[in-house]
Amino acid sequence: MSVTLILTAAVLSLCTAIMLLGNTVYSPAAVWKVLTGENIKGATFAVRTLRLPRMLSGLLAGFAFGMAGSTFQTMLRNPLASPDIIGVTAGSNAAAIFLLIMMNLSGTAVSLGAVLGGVLTSAFIYLLSRGGKFEGGRLILIGLGVQAMLNAFISYLLLRAPQHDVPAAYRWLSGSLNGVQLSDIPMLAIIIIIFSPITILLGKHLRILELGENSAVTLGVNTDRTRILLILSAVISIAFATATTGPIAFVSFLSGPISSKLVGAGTQNELPAGLVGAVLVLLADLIGQFAFSTKFPVGVITGILGAPYLIFLLIRMNKTGGAS
Amino acid sequence: MNNEHQLKVEHITAGYDGRTILKDIELAIPVNKISVILGANACGKSTLLKTIARLLKPSSGKITLDGKGIWTFPSKHLARVLGLLPQSPVVPEGIVVADLVSRGRFPYQGLMKGLSREDHAAVAEALEIMGITNLADRRLDELSGGQKQRVWIAMALAQDTDILLLDEPTTYLDITYQVEILDLLTDLNRKKGTTIVMVLHDINLSARYADYIFALREGCLVSEGTPSEVINEELIKEVYGMNCSVISDPVSGSPFVLPKGRHHVLDSCLA
Repeated sequence: MSVTLILTAAVLSLCTAIMLLGNTVYSPAAVWKVLTGENIKGATFAVRTLRLPRMLSGLLAGFAFGMAGSTFQTMLRNPLASPDIIGVTAGSNAAAIFLLIMMNLSGTAVSLGAVLGGVLTSAFIYLLSRGGKFEGGRLILIGLGVQAMLNAFISYLLLRAPQHDVPAAYRWLSGSLNGVQLSDIPMLAIIIIIFSPITILLGKHLRILELGENSAVTLGVNTDRTRILLILSAVISIAFATATTGPIAFVSFLSGPISSKLVGAGTQNELPAGLVGAVLVLLADLIGQFAFSTKFPVGVITGILGAPYLIFLLIRMNKTGGAS
Repeated sequence: MNNEHQLKVEHITAGYDGRTILKDIELAIPVNKISVILGANACGKSTLLKTIARLLKPSSGKITLDGKGIWTFPSKHLARVLGLLPQSPVVPEGIVVADLVSRGRFPYQGLMKGLSREDHAAVAEALEIMGITNLADRRLDELSGGQKQRVWIAMALAQDTDILLLDEPTTYLDITYQVEILDLLTDLNRKKGTTIVMVLHDINLSARYADYIFALREGCLVSEGTPSEVINEELIKEVYGMNCSVISDPVSGSPFVLPKGRHHVLDSCLA
């Protein structure tokens, strides 16, 4: 519990920092006045139009990425099994890029397309890997294959794209809080308010699923129903988050392992993982904005953090023969 | 000893991917007794146990608990009566003993609540019966094979079911641990009246520890009864395709199988 409190405090501090910092640093009092409706020249635009959507999207998307990633990793008992590695995110990306480039759509249509792409890709992977009996390893391999296919499709789209569409596509692919507008937030917030309680409530079932199919059935878990509910919650949350900020690299992948280190192995960690996700995104965004002379989008910073861990995991798995 | 759940296998035919493994099996599990399912490799022992535990849906026939098909029970409800220790359970990384054992309480827990006082008591009792109270805070991956197996059985005990199925609980263990596990299961059966059904490989230990034996061959039930009724030279030949002598175990008085291979058999013993 104390870990959750500390993480909550960290998230709140980072949210505050994002609201206060920028080209001009505003005092907490000024920010508060703007948020409660007062008009202050300059501050109103910076706080309401730039910083508030940035902070809220980082918070919500980070939370969604973290919780969904951790759910997948625990359910499939494999740290590689996060949605950004097994093709779910790639499904959203492919759909979004297709709509951006081939259909010349933008805004809500692209977002909804991304959600649909993520959900359909997951259903496809799940059905392919089910084949009579559910196996985690098979799902991961099939997911990696589907991811490769979708990435090839994305490359093809980018090659065919007219020059002026390419930057928009790349902005989508790199993951950023820059372009987010306040009107994008309510939908994401509603989705997270609906689906994260489902994930947290099923946390206990997830700890049983983790013991393997046989033990889970024996202990009275309706395994198919639980798995489908958990996958749906995770996929829908992550697809909406991706539709808002683009895929922020490795947040899903990193949050679960970090939070499970913090709360201790075997403890329910869906909520802490969500909070860690939010911390990662907000912190990486602050670093990207202020640490260097050039501004980097948040996905670049999380990518730099996540890549070494992925390499470390692959090396370790290579040593242990894939069993983890 | 108020455990009187009747578990029956009624004309079960079952298998995987269209391949039939069990053929029209009909049997009743003796209440409050230890039963052992014997048979050669791939004869369907584990499949039978899995079908009883609802891990595999039979293609025809049904398993009934107190006259009702087990697939009609709500899953948590059934999990309070019927438990299973699978052959190779999956260990979550880094998990500690007490945590794992407490997961056996899942069928009793509500959606929102944590472990109740009753749950804690059941976990403590399970650890004590298995003699692993001192290991409660240890990580599972640090324990020896025998200790691990006791932890898994403790988890099944915490589930507090009247019927306990075990798929080869002694495989891969040294003889000392094999006997120890079987002794602990016998204690459990005598103290609480738990009906135990297990698959074992060792015929002689089975003959000692089982009250009742089911012998399978190629998916069919070929014989059932007490060890002394069932185990004889003809049955071993039929089930395992092996010649042997059966004597009385000088330690327990149960039947004891002495295999006869092609070598190291005295002339006086050749039939």
